[in-house]
Amino acid sequence: MTQAREEILGTIRKSLAAGDPRTPRRLEELKSRIQDSAPQVQPYFDDDLLTRFCQKHVAVHGTYERIRKDGIEAAVVRHLTGLGLDTQWHTGVGPLLDATRWSDQVFVYRKCADKDTKVALTEAFAAVAETGTLVMCSGPAAPTSQNYLPDNHVIIVDSRRIVRHMEDLWAMLRTTGTAAARAVNLITGPSKTGDIEQTIQYGAHGPRRLHVLIVEEA
Amino acid sequence: MLFVRERFIVVETETKLPVNVGLFVTCLADLMRPQVAFAAVALLERAGCRVRVPRQQSCCGQPALNSGDRASTIDIARNVIQSFDPDDYVVVPSGSCADTLINKYPALFRHDMQWAGRAQNLSDKTWELTSFLTEKLKFSLDDVSYSGVCTYHDSCSGLRELGIQKQPRTLLSSVKGLTLSEMEDSNVCCGFGGLFSVKYPDISGRIVSDKCGQIVQTDADTVLGGDLGCLLNIAGRLRREGKNIKVFHIAEVLAGMANGPAIGEAERES
Amino acid sequence: MSASVASQPVVFQERARKALDDISLQRALTKARGGFVDHRRDAVDALPEFDAIRDAARDIKDHVLANLDGYLELYEQKVIERGGQVHWARDADEACRIVARICTDAGARTVTKGKSMVSEEMNLNPALEAAGMTVVETDLGEYIVQLAGEAPSHIIAPAVHKTREQITDLFHKHHSPLGYTDRVTQREALVNEARSVLRERFVTADVGITGANFLVAETGANVIVTNEGNGDLTSCLPRVHIVTAGIERVIPSLDDLSVLLRVLGRSATGQEFSAYTSLYSGPRRHDDTEGPEAYHVVLLDNGRSRLLGGQYQPMLRCIRCGACLNHCPVYGVIGGHAYGWVYSGPMGAVLTPLLNGFDQSLDLPNACTLNGRCKEVCPVRIPLSDLLLKHRLEQHDRRLTSVSGRFLLSAWAWLARRPRLYQGIMALPLWLLHRFGKRRGVLSRLPGVGGWTDSRDLPVPARRSFLRQWHARKARP
Repeated sequence: MTQAREEILGTIRKSLAAGDPRTPRRLEELKSRIQDSAPQVQPYFDDDLLTRFCQKHVAVHGTYERIRKDGIEAAVVRHLTGLGLDTQWHTGVGPLLDATRWSDQVFVYRKCADKDTKVALTEAFAAVAETGTLVMCSGPAAPTSQNYLPDNHVIIVDSRRIVRHMEDLWAMLRTTGTAAARAVNLITGPSKTGDIEQTIQYGAHGPRRLHVLIVEEA
Repeated sequence: MLFVRERFIVVETETKLPVNVGLFVTCLADLMRPQVAFAAVALLERAGCRVRVPRQQSCCGQPALNSGDRASTIDIARNVIQSFDPDDYVVVPSGSCADTLINKYPALFRHDMQWAGRAQNLSDKTWELTSFLTEKLKFSLDDVSYSGVCTYHDSCSGLRELGIQKQPRTLLSSVKGLTLSEMEDSNVCCGFGGLFSVKYPDISGRIVSDKCGQIVQTDADTVLGGDLGCLLNIAGRLRREGKNIKVFHIAEVLAGMANGPAIGEAERES
Repeated sequence: MSASVASQPVVFQERARKALDDISLQRALTKARGGFVDHRRDAVDALPEFDAIRDAARDIKDHVLANLDGYLELYEQKVIERGGQVHWARDADEACRIVARICTDAGARTVTKGKSMVSEEMNLNPALEAAGMTVVETDLGEYIVQLAGEAPSHIIAPAVHKTREQITDLFHKHHSPLGYTDRVTQREALVNEARSVLRERFVTADVGITGANFLVAETGANVIVTNEGNGDLTSCLPRVHIVTAGIERVIPSLDDLSVLLRVLGRSATGQEFSAYTSLYSGPRRHDDTEGPEAYHVVLLDNGRSRLLGGQYQPMLRCIRCGACLNHCPVYGVIGGHAYGWVYSGPMGAVLTPLLNGFDQSLDLPNACTLNGRCKEVCPVRIPLSDLLLKHRLEQHDRRLTSVSGRFLLSAWAWLARRPRLYQGIMALPLWLLHRFGKRRGVLSRLPGVGGWTDSRDLPVPARRSFLRQWHARKARP
């Protein structure tokens, strides 16, 4: 196995012109290119972040509601009742979720989703205005399956955590150390497939519906 | 050197002295449709050019190049380069042959000290016909008419390698009585591809049949284009389908020579 | 799954003919063609920076390729740092052996797979089945072709060649024994049935295998881009996650990833961004409630390292978006299977001979009109049609082309550079053809021009060539 490694790297070096030995210094150069990496060409837009996020999120078949911090439970209940669903769900963690005290009217399971999970409520690490994307990071009590197994996915996002471009997200991941999470999932709209006659059908394997609750501080 | 010559030419045009143009006929126009070359000459002369047609020409070498035969292509290219040495400009009534002279020759001779400069020189002075008329000569037609609804097929090399798309349409817009009805996917290949159409006739046949479907949908009575290869292909298919749609090279219409039999039409009894 | 057909030479034309005669395939291709092209155009038109981003994407890929050894080492270090393992495979067989061994060591019986073209290239499924595993493709398109016992016909839309009726039949046949006895025909119902069947597979699988659109050296993550979410369920539910990827998938940083993602979705399906873009690195962290216990990356060379530094290096920039397939007039009428291997369309025609050997797929670089539309739409500006021409030059130089073809060509070229002789010799056939055809203006049958006249007429040539007419005229006083 190490033999295969050496052989492949050897062939690469040989193919890439022999006169250019791959010194340790060179590796350092590549390392600093990574460390100093900065945004390159970015799509320009001048809408405010919240407007852009909402517009893009709706464009990919998502729904949303702008709420206040104390209105989380009511908003989730409203959404589920509107769909004719029971007010019970799997939930993850996050500053907003952790601060919420659930009433007796709802059942909240703090565990991984399973194949029959109908609803999950999770909190986004951030959102990207450019593409209307929600960013979910795995961690203790934040299992990735909650984002993919339920039929209905409700995501809470703090409006102050909506960033402009994807690169702003990377910067945030780096400074918070979250880039080391096992999973960073960028979610843009509900699950869909075009594999049957190139016609879009929602709910291929992941959620059929994606509803976002944007929490704005007064 | 080049700069000086360019300036000299500009002065000539301004004082209405003729521009010396060598016509690269292209082998298909030469053998299959001489009228295209006659039309090109007529147009160039009307635009104030003095046209020379070197006898020492046959083909640009594309069939050899596209079959991977570099050596043969180089031999043919040398002959072309030499034949057009005396001309200030070389004009080609075909986007794909013009592309060969303009883009492929310099690449072929890149490592040939002796020929690289000459190939580049030919490349610099070579123009596709419609682009030469509109961009270089700023030529505008008057007094030409064609009565019919035309649709224009953009041939691939001209379109993608030389950026020819507006030029023919600009010229056609001043032809009296001519309406342009664009087809869907006019920029999609007609399936000709030179020897491709002979080596892979089934595939080529299906592509051209799709193309003809789109032509028919426009209700045009005439198909125009700037490359005879594509036009022979399209005309051949239209004839096979029994469609009554005429096919002409754009030069024939612009020169007012589109009153005889179209490509693939029988000669009229005289 | 159909095996590599590299071992069966010269059947391209036969496969192409079969494809042209396949009515449901033709229907499916016609339906797909316009959609992909229109969606891409709309997405590109809506982004003024698209061309600048394409340039940046190309430059990133070029930079990586020029430093591939270094970035692979940096990436490997990161994967190990995150608790994962990196395996290097020189060829497809070695890669299959590595994956099979990981599965066996894990005591695996069921393996779910996200869409991975590299695993198709490896021909992984038969290798795993031989090792006693049940392998389930989970991308809906891949699942459909797996049920049909076929190979994908498109790198991003594997079942693009299947009509709804065919899918209905397949599902009915394979799902009835599982209790889905109703014959469903509507798209939504078909998708739901597959969802339901595959759910069981996701939650019971021991090993999940995915590909990687990108491998990020900065974080050691593999990036997968999907719309269905199957890749994520494959990555997070089973005990073991294996990533198979070509060595050229590595990129330096997350910022580079942004650039490439901005061109990928738009070029592939006309989406600004796919529904799911996920970065996975290493196994579950010690305090995670979920996730695989082991994370393996299998890096496949399979001939790629040899392409570096040579004239075909730009091909290694490919991000497998499928735009060149969607815009290729030839692919558009024959579909992917005619190409004979996992990669089809222009990118397949360039790549297949490079990975499988020039002499194995002689037709591919030639079965192209050189119309250049592939080159025009490529998000990383691979000069695909130019590379196909390079293939042809190389075939000729290596004398892989037919003897008679070469002879005819050089005879013609010999003549073509002697214009006067050429004009003289051409006069007779010209006159003959003209004489035969002038009454109708076309010839409906002409031996010696291949099958040209099978599907179209040949306009008759002129009686005398232009050059002869012109110079005769000039000679007159």
